[in-house]
Amino acid sequence: MTAIAPAPLEHARTLYEPQPAEVVAVEKLTDLENLYRFRLSSGEPLGHGPGQFVQMSLLGIGECPISICSSPTRGDYFELCVRRVGEVTGHIHGLKKGDTIGIRGPLGHGFDVHDMHGRDVLIVAGGLGLAPVRSLIQYILDERSRFGAFHLLYGARSPAELLFRNDLTIWRESPDVNFHMTVDRPDEQWRGRSGVVTTLFGELPPIDPLETMVVIVGPPIMFKFVVLEVLARRVPQKNVFCSLERRMKCGVGKCGHCQANNVYVCLEGPVFRYGELKALREAIE
Amino acid sequence: MLDRIITRGRLVELVDELARTRRIIGPVRRGERFFYEPVAKAREIDLEFNYCVYSPKKVLFPAREELFMFERNNGSFRTKPLLDERPTALIGVHPCDINAIRLLDQVFSHSHRDDHYLARRRQLFIIGVDCPAECTAGVFCEDMKSNEANEGFDLMCYPLSANGASEDMRYGIKFGTDAGREFLLYAQAGDRPTVEDERAFERYRAQKRAAFQRRIPFDVDGLPALLDRSYDSLLWEATARRCYSCGSCNLSCPTCFCFNTFDKLDLTLSSGQRVREWDGCQLREFATVAGGHNFRPQAASRLRHRIYRKGKWILEREGIPGCVGCARCDRACTAKINSVEIYNQLAEEG
Ligand SMILES: Cc1cc2nc3c(=O)[nH]c(=O)nc-3n(C[C@H](O)[C@H](O)[C@H](O)COP(=O)(O)OP(=O)(O)OC[C@H]3O[C@@H](n4cnc5c(N)ncnc54)[C@H](O)[C@@H]3O)c2cc1C
Ligand code: SF4
Ligand code: SF4
Ligand code: FES
Repeated sequence: MTAIAPAPLEHARTLYEPQPAEVVAVEKLTDLENLYRFRLSSGEPLGHGPGQFVQMSLLGIGECPISICSSPTRGDYFELCVRRVGEVTGHIHGLKKGDTIGIRGPLGHGFDVHDMHGRDVLIVAGGLGLAPVRSLIQYILDERSRFGAFHLLYGARSPAELLFRNDLTIWRESPDVNFHMTVDRPDEQWRGRSGVVTTLFGELPPIDPLETMVVIVGPPIMFKFVVLEVLARRVPQKNVFCSLERRMKCGVGKCGHCQANNVYVCLEGPVFRYGELKALREAIE
Repeated sequence: MLDRIITRGRLVELVDELARTRRIIGPVRRGERFFYEPVAKAREIDLEFNYCVYSPKKVLFPAREELFMFERNNGSFRTKPLLDERPTALIGVHPCDINAIRLLDQVFSHSHRDDHYLARRRQLFIIGVDCPAECTAGVFCEDMKSNEANEGFDLMCYPLSANGASEDMRYGIKFGTDAGREFLLYAQAGDRPTVEDERAFERYRAQKRAAFQRRIPFDVDGLPALLDRSYDSLLWEATARRCYSCGSCNLSCPTCFCFNTFDKLDLTLSSGQRVREWDGCQLREFATVAGGHNFRPQAASRLRHRIYRKGKWILEREGIPGCVGCARCDRACTAKINSVEIYNQLAEEG
């Protein structure tokens, strides 16, 4: 293998090389999740759209896909919310302000926000699913006049697992969003609603099914029950969106890991229309 | 129409000339079997090979390769890509494998260019050898329409006279690229084909058509539709009962291109390489995500995934079949799981 020559240092970046990004802030969200704010060392904006993801690298440890959880309307930084589950994410949790990591992206196909302009939006998020849709939530709030009614439903397993608490407070008080949340298992201090996320549908005013775009992101089991609620309100399946998670290695449609039937989630997703997914048996089973 | 006629002796001389500027890789006999290996002299290559156990895929897409190296310093890092730009010639590739390379070319060049594959591909000169008969039992290249190749090579050699390994046996030559044309013309090698040569070529083709058996008793264009109807067939589970999920079928396949990546750290702990290595969809963890959820936990769902990829999805995505009918997967399988048999059993179900 040593016969292979390295390219000169000044080169156009190849497909798999990450570019450096600096940690500008770290915030602990829960026992398992931290929020990181990054800026590319090149000074360029990442250039992402809501719903896209990046491959995050710690050189020498490895790489993993993480959704971008801030909106491009928020300036030249981007945020990633990382749950500690294994090798790479474990090391990410050791990062401090000033550290540098590698980024490839933005990757994948995010939300078609232009399609949503002029419409009402209903977002239903469960657990870590709030991270990928937070980029869309921020986008809608920053471009509020482009959208009609905006409903946001969020469910977590327990109060300790609620993500983005600062945001939750802001959203609850904001006239710009009709926000409701619930936890499956309340504790003594919990004063809010309890029960699974579908119970929050009782809080919704009647929605205009033909004018409402629905976004559902959460664990597969939640997905199914939420889709039932939405279809029961006669929202057409083409107006329902979701974001899939798969094992990913390349992020660019080569390595085959993310394939669900005949789609590559990294290329054609992670955001899909529910109508497109129905024919894909592996998509939501 | 042929472009040139050349004797085996002259071809061997030309390959030896090529070896002065390129690494030469071709079929080398090891006991009863053949493997693609680098050689110093053209004579070490056996152009009468039946088939190579592994395909030439590994020349373009090695089983393990370093993608880039990195250096960590002051909390940041620098990367340098590792591109293999060694001029190489691959001598003796059968049409099925040339068709497989065409698929890889496309997969690694569209939408996001894979510089590592493409650097090797740019530097690769391919001399194909056409097969006058089935190379071994069980191949179904005829059914997959890949027992002929019309592009994807620099030169293609058609063995027009039968007497095997003699020096004056004649190959009909077709140019696939300008590089192939120049290779012969600059060396002033080969003769213009005569009318008699063209007739011999026609006879060769007629004999070839008669020599190849069909093993799938329906038109392969109907395979995607057949698979479409067969998603819920019990055959997947019935067949997968024998499957060891060992991935040998993936590893031996000339069109499988899935991979994994991981990092290697040097002893200094400040530099290392990102590596990619072949992966296979038959291995249990292939579709496992964090939290342990596996999107294809049963051998049956993995087997179905592989066959769908080969028979339907790759064709639909790339416009090029995902299987070239070389039957390497069938031969590699200890459990004797056989793709032709699967196709035929599905067809019997209707
Ligand atoms: C599009 C997308 C967006 C995502 N967004 C986020 C996000 O915003 N925040 C977030 O926290 N996570 C997100 N994830 C999930 C995240 O990518 C995984 O948690 C991460 O890859 C885990 O990497 P790790 O190295 O820490 O874990 P690993 O050390 O890889 O282990 C975690 C688990 O992964 C599986 N696994 C990994 N490698 C292997 C292997 N070689 N063999 C067998 N099993 C293996 C196992 O199930 C293991 O238990 C997203 C995933 C996708 C696809
Ligand atoms: S080679 Fe045979 S046993 Fe091994 S994974 Fe493939 S089909 Fe299964
Ligand atoms: S699937 Fe089997 S027969 Fe088809 S190309 Fe791959 S190894 Fe050859
Ligand atoms: S992550 Fe490699 S193909 Fe999608």
